[in-house]
This record gives sequence, structure tokens and C-alpha cells, in this order.
Amino acid sequence: MSAVPALEVRGLVKHYPGVKALDGVDLIVRQNEVLGLAGENGAGKSTLLKALVGLVAPDAGEIYVRGEPVKLRSVVDAADHGIGMVFQEQSLVPNLTAAENIVLGSEGAAVRRGIYRWDAMRRLAQEQLDKIGSHIDPLARTDTLTFAERQMVEIAKVLRIEERSQHPPVIILDEPTSVLESKEIETLFAQIRRLREFASVVFVSHRLDEVLDVCDRVTVLRSGQSVGEVATAGAVPRELHRMMIGSTGSDDHYHENAAAPVTAEQPRLSVRGLSGKSFHDIDLDVAAGEIVAIVGVHGSGREDVCRALFGAEPTTAGEIRMDGKKIDLPNTRAACAAGIGYVPAERKIEGMVGSMSVAENMTLTKQKARCTGPFVAPKKQATLVDSWIRRLSIRTPNRDTAIGRLSGGNQQKVVLARWLVGGDIRLLLLDHPTRGLDIGARSEVYRLMRELAASGVATVLLADSLEEAIGMADRILVMNDGRVATEVACPSGGKPSPLDLVKEMV
Amino acid sequence: MSTPVAVRPATEPATVKSGPRPVERLTGFMPLIALVALVAALTIADPDFLTQRSLTAAARTAAPLIVLAAGATLVVLCGGIDLSIAALASLSTVLLALWLPDLGGLATPVVIVVAAAIGAVQGTAHVLLRIPSFIVTLGGLSILSAVALVVSGAGTVRVVDDSPVKWLDLYVAGYVPMSFAVAVIVVALIAVVLKVTPLQSWISATGYSESAARLAGTPVDLVKIGAFCVSGACAGLAAVMLVSRQFSGGPTMADNLLLPAVAAIVVGGTAITGGHGSVWRSLAGALVVTLLRVGLPIVGVPSAYEQILYGAIIVVAVALTLDRSRVSIIK
Amino acid sequence: MTAEEVVTAPRRQSRRGASFRDAGPPVALIVIFGIFAALSPQFRSIDNVQNIVDAAAVLAVVTCGITFVLMMGSIDLSAAGVMGASALTVSLLVANNRNDNDFGLLGILVAVLLGCAFGCLSGLALVLLKVPSFMATLGVSAIGLGVATLMFAGVQPNISDAMLESWAIERFLGFAYLTWIAAACILVGWLIQRYTRLGRYAYAIGGAEEVLTLSGVRVKPYKIAVFTLAGAFYGLGGVMVTSQLGAGLVQAGDGYDFSAITAAVVGGTLLTGGRGGILHSAVGVLLVMVLTNGLVQVGVSPYWQGGVEGLIVVAAVAAAVIPQRRRNQVVK
Repeated sequence: MSAVPALEVRGLVKHYPGVKALDGVDLIVRQNEVLGLAGENGAGKSTLLKALVGLVAPDAGEIYVRGEPVKLRSVVDAADHGIGMVFQEQSLVPNLTAAENIVLGSEGAAVRRGIYRWDAMRRLAQEQLDKIGSHIDPLARTDTLTFAERQMVEIAKVLRIEERSQHPPVIILDEPTSVLESKEIETLFAQIRRLREFASVVFVSHRLDEVLDVCDRVTVLRSGQSVGEVATAGAVPRELHRMMIGSTGSDDHYHENAAAPVTAEQPRLSVRGLSGKSFHDIDLDVAAGEIVAIVGVHGSGREDVCRALFGAEPTTAGEIRMDGKKIDLPNTRAACAAGIGYVPAERKIEGMVGSMSVAENMTLTKQKARCTGPFVAPKKQATLVDSWIRRLSIRTPNRDTAIGRLSGGNQQKVVLARWLVGGDIRLLLLDHPTRGLDIGARSEVYRLMRELAASGVATVLLADSLEEAIGMADRILVMNDGRVATEVACPSGGKPSPLDLVKEMV
Repeated sequence: MSTPVAVRPATEPATVKSGPRPVERLTGFMPLIALVALVAALTIADPDFLTQRSLTAAARTAAPLIVLAAGATLVVLCGGIDLSIAALASLSTVLLALWLPDLGGLATPVVIVVAAAIGAVQGTAHVLLRIPSFIVTLGGLSILSAVALVVSGAGTVRVVDDSPVKWLDLYVAGYVPMSFAVAVIVVALIAVVLKVTPLQSWISATGYSESAARLAGTPVDLVKIGAFCVSGACAGLAAVMLVSRQFSGGPTMADNLLLPAVAAIVVGGTAITGGHGSVWRSLAGALVVTLLRVGLPIVGVPSAYEQILYGAIIVVAVALTLDRSRVSIIK
Repeated sequence: MTAEEVVTAPRRQSRRGASFRDAGPPVALIVIFGIFAALSPQFRSIDNVQNIVDAAAVLAVVTCGITFVLMMGSIDLSAAGVMGASALTVSLLVANNRNDNDFGLLGILVAVLLGCAFGCLSGLALVLLKVPSFMATLGVSAIGLGVATLMFAGVQPNISDAMLESWAIERFLGFAYLTWIAAACILVGWLIQRYTRLGRYAYAIGGAEEVLTLSGVRVKPYKIAVFTLAGAFYGLGGVMVTSQLGAGLVQAGDGYDFSAITAAVVGGTLLTGGRGGILHSAVGVLLVMVLTNGLVQVGVSPYWQGGVEGLIVVAAVAAAVIPQRRRNQVVK
């Protein structure tokens, strides 16, 4: 084993508008080792990985490959330096053969003067597949393969970089296990151990037991910084998890003292046996004034449950009651009419209409609030919108400014206000309402949520982090694989620990 | 229920990003600049151009185009395209010519209603079957042309007694052709209705970001069907204008208006990606296109260049007005 | 045979060959042919079958071109304009009544190259100006028609080139030369689709363009090349129409753009790209021709032809879309 690390990162910084995604990350990947990378959502994992394969240009900091400083401008550039990544959402062309995908972009002898040599191509691909001992037919169409098989194809494809860089490669696996069955995971781990013989591996997973199982060492990221490094021999998940979450701090970030006591005679929202494509048999009660968080890993189905409650995702069974009355949600309009509001996670694409003014965005749903009869009443609209701009302290030059020109936090407040201007909101579904916001804006959104709850609005929250869910919620529903795994009371002063929740999530 | 909310002063700075880029500002005035420049150029080329007679003639030619373009603009604002307008107008001329003897004055509203219904059917097919609008209306174009051929027997249908549509051939105040006045009124009507009702918001939201509009509870499907319906009705009205001028209906009479209409919309600055533009812009665009059409012979260019010009205009205008930030992969 | 052959797992043919879905159009072709054959004795005559195949020749060539564009997920409405321009070009370059040119094959080549140039123009507008393909090609079609009108100049050029005229008249093994040219085009198209990087990448662009970019493939040149290739087929289509008509007409390509899209879509090529191919389209062409010819044979007015195509294109697209429908999906 050589002393020079295969890959080293020093002080990497990346800003996005309003957020510091990477804040001086250090990372060392030694040769022939499997390094685990752990961190909560938003800790900066994906930005770091993208920087390592040239998809994101860092604002500051250095990347060294085998001791040499490098600038990575593209995936191809990274491949030339021997760094390759198996992407979380697979990056294979579905309608090409496995062989074509493996050699894509560097066909070499398989294509001469633009003409395919299928024999040569099959041979090249077979060589790659043999490296990982896979028995997949190289000429099978990729979309006929199973997910696990496609992952093998992808690993075989990434191993092509060996031919490009003449050095042992660094292979990055981004959440490779999230969609695999346990048997397939075993195969993958055997594969990773094989890779270690001739390559370095960076393994990213939110399942800490897996990280400890397959890695030699783990680096933990938190809010864009590397906060620790643990040798896995003898380490326990608990220890890692503490590093990932950090101390919650003594300041009252979540305005817990403003939490309203819940007096539930009858639940505002009552869901029984709700089933859809990715979720089954969901029971959920939310009382007026209560905040219920749903937590779960990627693929747990919680986003779809949330959208189903807004009529944006089809359901196959179950019933939904609002204040005891059974309601039907065939589309989003029905949900709006029932007093349900939804703040989508993708604010810029789904939450707002970037070209339209603050006023138009705010009144888009509750048109009645700005109209007299069928006509828009400009004065009524002005009064209404200005009053909400004031009440929510929305920083905007005026109500006619295009919403796309506001900062993220103010945009989010306008999106929230859209549900409030009608004065008939009964249930708010918040899908990652603080995503991409800085601390100050987050705090304001939290306070707003508290005040809405205090005024009797029921809230379902899909939080950005476990910490946020615990901080804000009165009750937490843990979802695992499309089902409700457990329900945890989360009263102010008796909050559960994140570890208790993580146990149920995986 | 009231929601008393008062939030503590924000810590977040009100970061307001820069205003519209210079190119955006320019494209905003593009149709007007083009219009003025054209009139100036034509006047220099032929001092006789700026006379009442040739202007009146130009206005008369422009009328059906304005109406067609205005209707289709609504579909474009919703993010779609209606390629069937010209074929629908052709079919409508045939229907009008066939129905005039029996229905008399009633034929005009009936034809417009039928055209609106055909538009609505296409819109419904687009929305319910989830077929891209250009393929639905391309199919519609083909079907409507076939129907027009069949019902007309593939020939011109002469109008013997054109008194019920003759009023469109009159002049307002002696100078302004009635058809042009009607076209401007239609544009104004559409613009005002959009302005004073929530429709403007709904259409912009649907065109700019359909998923956001849907998640805000906007009746996206109805808005789209409505847009196609208005587009159809406008095609019907354009057909009435054509019949009043030509005293006949024909299965391909309006077919050559498709390209000018599309050109008028994009020259007006309505973005083909949806959400940005207006019917007023299309009015200006239609005038620009008409001036080019009548102006080419004046400056001595053979009219065969007309087609080439339309083609070039469409490509260049789309390229200028396209909102590139919103489409990553262009097919 | 090397050792690695032994390692390979037993092949599952279904993973490579035609799937059940691909069987639809051919089965439909046979069924519709059967129905018309039962209904009309004229339809099932050898003469009529020859007619159908011969009449399909031009459409088959145009469809070959458009198939590559559709495979990428783009659309091409320029066929009519390009064919008009190439028809006039070839009729003015071979022996004709308008001038003393007699370039023969060279004239045909120039017409095809002109088609390439128009295709290239569409591709450039798409790639460089980022104009969506249906708009870019609509514009290019208009330009093509304009160029054709300029060349037409009010006097119809009648061709007297023996070779070009013979294409439509002479027969080999019962089929017109044009039909054999079309067959050759299908073969060439299939070879391109199967054995060249251009064809495979066109297919891949329709499947997952972003993955190609991620793998370091520069997609833009291939897009331009695909449109150029399509233009070549349209150019040849224009030449073939000129051979049929014996004269160069601006309207040579009228309706072919839409018929070709119909044929490709009915054959199983998805408008979203990534599925289908030349052979699918060939079946689609025959389907469209059998359907229109059959309807005429059973007494339906030929004017309905466009209507029938319109209906089946909408039906075919809808049928292809239904299995993939999701709520909240954006369809423009």
C-alpha cells in the first residue's frame, strides 16, 4: 500500500444562493480502502460527490489525485484522472444494450470510423463484466435488466476508467443500496470487497449499519463540514449518529415555547387504510393545531402520501375524513376546495410561477379573495396582498415584483401566504418547507408554522432533517417501505432521540 | 376562520436579483419597433404607400390574420400550439357558404359556434388523452381538411346571396374596413376579459409552469380546453371575413394563413414556451406580417420570397423570444 | 470461440429480440389486409397489391428520414418544403423543357445534397438557436417552398430525362424501379440504425440524452447529422415524385410530412423518442397504404385519406401514451 492517498480533498467550499453547501470539507481516500461517507440530508454529501466527478465547480479548496492538485471540469475529466461514480438515479441509456452502455463515450475498438463492430463491442463489454464476475448478457437491452443487474452494468461501465488513467481507479457509489433487496445488497458488498483489491471505493449510504459493515473508515459530514473520522472496527452506529446530528444547541430554534397545546375532541384529518402505488394501508390522524411529522428514508413513500392527501397522486384504497366528513380527492382542486393547502418541495418548479408577480402568486389559488363577482378587483387585491406582505414580513420592493426575483425565504412565504389569504385553510401539507433556506429564513418559517398551528391549522410536515421533525412536531409517524412503522409522541419537553427514530426507519 | 400571524422582523436580507436583461427589454418592444421601421421603410421605398387607399387595403388584408393569430395566441400562452387553425378556417368557409342559403344571417353565429366546438374537441383530446398539442392539431388539420374536401366536393362553393355577411365589407367612418374594426374589437375583448378576470393568472401560470399551476389548484385542464375553444371560434370568425371578401368558400381557402399566423404570434414576442405574451402583441405581429406581404412587391422583391421570409421570421423570432432558462433539453 | 463464451449465462432471447409490443403493427397489417381482402375482390388482386407497394415507395423513403428524427424525440415538419425544393432542382438539372441542362445522375445527386442542406439548417436552428424542432422545421419547410417557388418561376419544368422517367415506368420483378429504390433506402436506413454510431446515438438521444452528455458524448453534432440525413431522404423523395409526375412541382411534397409521421407512429415509433426504427416504420408505411387503398376499394371517397391518417395518428399516439400516464404529468 502506497503512502500517497488516492484522492484527497482540502477545504472545499461551494456556495449556492442563500446556502453554503460545502463549508471547508476535508477528505482523504487511501489506496485500496473503502471509505464511508455519512451525513444527514443537506449535510453536503451530494455536492461533495458532484465536485469529485466534475459536475460542480467548487468556489474554493483543492482536490488532489495521488498527490497532484487537479481541476475537474467534467465527468470525462474526472474519468481521465481515474475517478468514476455510480449515480444514485442510474445513468444508463435504457434503450441501448448493456454492452453499448458500458463502452459509451469511449468505444475504442468497438466503433471504427463510425461503424459498429458488434463482436468487438461484446468482447470489450464482456471483459468489463468479467472484472466483476457478472454473468449478464452484454447484448441484452438495458431496460430488460433488473435494478441490481443494471447496477452491475454501471459498475462495469465505471471500471472502464481503468483503461483511461492507467492508475488504480477511485469508484464512488452514491446510495447504491437504497432500492436493493437484502440478498442483492450482500452481492453488492461482495462486489465492493472485490473492488478493493484493485481500486479505492467511496461508499455513501444513509444506512449506518451498512456503512460500518462494508467500510474501513467513515468520514462524517455535517452542514457542509467534515466533523469527524472513525475507523469502523469496533465502532457502533450510535456514535456515528451523534456525530451526524451534533448537539441541538440550547437556543430555541424551533420556538417550542410557542407550541400550542393540542385539545383534540375529533381529529381534523383522519386517514384510514390509504393505499397507493408506493404506500400501503396508511392510518393517520392530525388534530386541529397539531403538527405531525412523517419521517422515513428515501423511498419510504412519505412524499407520495403527502401528495395523495392533496389529490396529486392516485390512491387505490382507503378513506380520508376532514372534521369527520368523508372527502374525495380526485384532483388538486378538490383538495383546495376542502381547505387543504400544499407547499411542494420543489419550490421553483412546483411551488411558484416565477414570471408572475407576488400578488398574482399569492392569490393564484383563492381567486375569490381578490375578486368581486367574476372580476378581479384591483383595490381589494392590493389591500389583501399588502396586508399579508406586512403580516409575514415579506421582503419585496412591492406587490407587483416578479416572485422569481425574491430570495428563497421570501418566495416560500409568498407560497405559504397563498393558502392563508382565503382564510379557509384547515390542513397544511408542508413538503420540505425549509429546503434551500438559510438559518434566518428557516427560523421564520418555523415561527410561522407555530402561529398557524396556534390558530387551529392542522399541519403535516415532511421535514428536511430528523432534527427538524423532532423540533417541530407534536407527533412523529415513522414510515418504512411504504408502511407506517411506528408512531412516536413528541411533546415539548419529552422529545424522543433521533436514534429511536432511525431504528424504525431502516 | 382568521389566522392572526405576525412574524418577528426577518434576519434575511431582501435579496432582489437584477431586473430584466437588455435583450428581454428589446424583445418586449420588438413588434412595435418592427412595425414602425416597416412603415418607414415602405414609405421611403414608395411615397404612395402612406396613403389612405393602400393603408385601407392593407388593413382589410390583415383582418382575418389578426383574428386567427389572436385566437391561437391563447393556446401558445398555455404552452401549446394550434396548427389546425388554418384548416379549420377553410372548413368554416365551406360550411358558411353551404349554410348561407338556408340559414341566412344565422349562418355566421352557427359557423363560429361549430368552429369553437371543434376547437374544444381538440383541446379535450389533448388534455384527456395526454397527446402533445402539436400532434393533436396536426391530426386535426388533416381530418378537417379531409372533411372540407368531402363536404365541398373538392371545389369552390360560390355564395350567390352574400347579404348576410356583406356588412363585414363595409367601412367604418368611410375609411376603416369593418372587418379590421371587428378584428381589433375581438383582440380588445379577449385582452380585457383576460385582464379583469382571474383568467390571466390562470393562463400565465399554466403556460409558465403547469405543475405549479396544478398544485395551486388552478383548473389547468379547463383553461387549456377553453384556449382551444377560443382559438376555434376565432378561426370561424376569420372564415366569415374571408367569405365576405371572396363571395365563396373553398376547402383550401385559408390554408396559406397558417404560416403567417404562426409568424405573427412569434414576431409579436409571445414565447413559444408559454406563459409570456399577449393578444396585443399578436395584433402587432399580424400587422408586421401583413406589411411585409404587401411591402415586398413595393420594394421590388418577387412574392416568392414571402414564404422564405415567413420561414426565416419564425425561426429567428422563436430563437429571440424563447425562455432558455426553463428548458434544459430542447427536442 | 474463446473461453469467455462459456462464462456467458444462457441468453434470454426476449431481452434482445422483438417484444410483444413490437408485434402489434405487423399483426394489425395482416388483420386489416385480411379484412379488405375479404370485403373487396379488387383489393386482393395481384395488380392492386403491386399498386399498393408501388404507391408506398415515396412515402417509405420520406418515412425513413423522419424515423431517425423521431427516434431522437424531435419532430420534423420540413419534408414538404424540402421535397418541393429538391423536385424543382432535379427537374431543372436533368433534361427538361426549361433549359439545356442534362446532368442526369449528377442532377439527382445535387437535389439530394440540397435536401441535406435544408436538413442541416433545421439541425443548426435546433442546436445553435435552441428553437424547438417543430418550429425550426416548420420554418425550414416554408423556406423550402419559397425556394421551390422561385425556381418554378411560373413555368412548369417538364422532364425528358430517360433514366429519371424510367424509374416510375420500368418494372423489375413486377415492381417499379422506384419501389426497389425505396427498398434500398430501407436497407440503408436499417444498416445506419443498426451499425453506425450515428444511428445508435440517435436512438440513445431519444432514450436518455442527459446520460450521453454525462458520459462525455457531444450530442449536438449528432443531432445536426440526423437532421441532415433526414434531409437527404426527403431530397430523394422529391426526386422520386418528379419521376412519377414527369415534372417539377412546388407541391411535390404536399402531405408527405404528415403521412410520414403517421406511418412512423403507427409502426411503433414513439414521439417521445427512444423506441421504434426503420423496420417499424416500413410496416407503418404499408399499414397506412393498405388502409387508404382498401378504403378507396370499398367505396370511401379518396378525399377522406387525410382524415383517416389524422384519426389513426391521434389514436396511435394516445395508445402509446396511455400506459405511461401519470397524474401531474406535463404535456405541452
